[in-house]
Amino acid sequence: MTENNFNRRDFLKLSAIGVAVAAGTRAITQVEASDAQKGEHQWAMVIDQAKCTGCGYCTLACQAHNDVNPDIQWNKVLDAGEVNGKKVYLARPCMQCEHAPCVEVCPVGASYYRDDGIVMMDYNKCIGCRYCQVACPFDARSFNWEAFTEENPAVPEWGTPEVERRPRGVPEKCAFCYQRIDRGLELGLTPGVDADATPACVVACPTGARMFGGLNDHNSNVSQVLREHISYRLRENLGTGSRVYYLPVDDTVTEG
Amino acid sequence: MKKIITAIRENIFTPWGIWLSFLGLVLLGALAAGITIFWKGLVITNLTNLVPWGLWITIDLSSIAVSAGAFSLCAGVYLFGLKRYAPIARTATFIGLIGYTMAMLALVLDIGRPDRFYKAMIFWNVHSLMWEVTMCVILYLTVLLFETMPIFASLEWLRSKFPRLARKMESVHHYAPVLAIIGLGLSSLHQSSLGAMYGVIKARPYLYKPEMAVLFMFSAIVGGISLTLLASMLSGRLTSRAKVNDILIERVAQFVGYLMIGYLYFRFWDWMASRYMHEPGRTEAYHLLTTGQLSFNFWIGEMILGALVPTFILLYRPARLSPFWRMLALAMIVGGVVAFRFDINIVGQLAVVSYLPGQPAISYTSYTPSLVEWASGMGIVAYGLLAFSLGVKYLRVVDHRLTDEEHEMVSVNSTEAVHA
Repeated sequence: MTENNFNRRDFLKLSAIGVAVAAGTRAITQVEASDAQKGEHQWAMVIDQAKCTGCGYCTLACQAHNDVNPDIQWNKVLDAGEVNGKKVYLARPCMQCEHAPCVEVCPVGASYYRDDGIVMMDYNKCIGCRYCQVACPFDARSFNWEAFTEENPAVPEWGTPEVERRPRGVPEKCAFCYQRIDRGLELGLTPGVDADATPACVVACPTGARMFGGLNDHNSNVSQVLREHISYRLRENLGTGSRVYYLPVDDTVTEG
Repeated sequence: MKKIITAIRENIFTPWGIWLSFLGLVLLGALAAGITIFWKGLVITNLTNLVPWGLWITIDLSSIAVSAGAFSLCAGVYLFGLKRYAPIARTATFIGLIGYTMAMLALVLDIGRPDRFYKAMIFWNVHSLMWEVTMCVILYLTVLLFETMPIFASLEWLRSKFPRLARKMESVHHYAPVLAIIGLGLSSLHQSSLGAMYGVIKARPYLYKPEMAVLFMFSAIVGGISLTLLASMLSGRLTSRAKVNDILIERVAQFVGYLMIGYLYFRFWDWMASRYMHEPGRTEAYHLLTTGQLSFNFWIGEMILGALVPTFILLYRPARLSPFWRMLALAMIVGGVVAFRFDINIVGQLAVVSYLPGQPAISYTSYTPSLVEWASGMGIVAYGLLAFSLGVKYLRVVDHRLTDEEHEMVSVNSTEAVHA
């Protein structure tokens, strides 16, 4: 009986140690993982609703540069009511969430984070289950219900395609024109400053309502604007840590 | 060839022949629908970016749910020692195998890239509940293949042509207790995770709740056992190939009645929690469910006919003893579980929370399955019915007379079996 008790106690001790070790390693690996996510640049976008006129040039430029089906909009411009008798618009690209629900739920890891915070899609890995669409709080993902084989009506007027067309059966979304950023950096350009290294929607905006830059760089235009102005993010209460900030038309409206 | 034609001519107008022809017609329709879907793509469905999961996912969720009889009854028989229910567990295992293959078929239709199905096994995102469900389902399907091997061994043709193979397959039943443990583990994981898959979706406030896992688990167990009992009783009435021991079924049915009280308790708790306090999106979805377009499904399908009435029938002895009322109650429970899975899949998607700033606005969208979705979906159901019918006819899937040695637990000398 005594022996039995000893064994049980030993067993409990051992399991407690085991659990502690497992939890410890898990905590350590998690810290490492979140460190790895922080690359040199942390890209963010700021959209000034006071300047946005709802012209939709951003959407067209996006559709041309990313070769998007005209039925799909990676960047949607929505009616957001009126403030002081003036119409207000809300342009919505992908929020590039820091804790992106789409990345967390994807069974095959086709949605993933880049070191610079961009939420990417591996269109060759995706099996088309659409869990990410159900999980996205911003409706930022569009499924390719059919193949896009026609000519792109936005080309060449609004730009030329820089990425491959996505096949039928996978969802697609905005990725902050990562191809422009990468190529620009290789050429020694600064994204957000040089047009060739900046997302197409930002470049196309005729009123300068869109700004792009690195959050780690304290002198970047987005860092400055966010320091000096009141800004908000969409559905902030969900805690997804969106990287798209909005400057409200009326400074008193700050709730997201 | 001539022989086959005369055989068909002789059998086509028997009930069996008519049943097979009916299922065959549905399957042909489904085949046509399926080919159209693979050819044209999902654009011909009524799925949208706001409701990306529709009828097929309901069929997927429901067929996994009603397969849960396999793990729960096998656990009862081989782990809790309720040995005399072994013949029912045999039926449940076979239904489980059919159910999981039905779910796989539904997924092949549903996912955008069925040609990449295998990637789900290669690329792991261990953080994703869907990854966990996929893994468990694949592993559990393997377990079910082993568990049903002794059943397939009873095929006359196999016995005469490959007697050694048949004996090998038969001997797998020695491992039934081990398989039951693995099956219990895998099923507990994925049956609840299937609910958790919805429960973690923050974007859809109605779904975002921890009890989703509990509700899925509970509804699966009651639905799974009920379907097993119902299918056994139906077969017993319709064909002489099935031999049913009504005493066994009646006892398990009573047990289902008690389980239903537990299920109702959790549903009541969930219902109260959902309606308490206003939460944008959740409250609207709740109203869709209780007073809106899904209210008939919810109150009649899920609650009154799907849960309350059958619970009463199964726990009221005179009603339970009548095979008609018992079968009706079991059918109602299965219908209730399917209604629950349909509603829960659709309701969170129908009430859309806007991301516009300021007062959260709720918009509503709608979804009605298209003809191809129905045709292919019914084909999956027809496949299930066909597989079960063939099982009853050729594999003695429902046979409660099976002698003891066919279900002997050789490798386990545990304590005496508890008599239920």
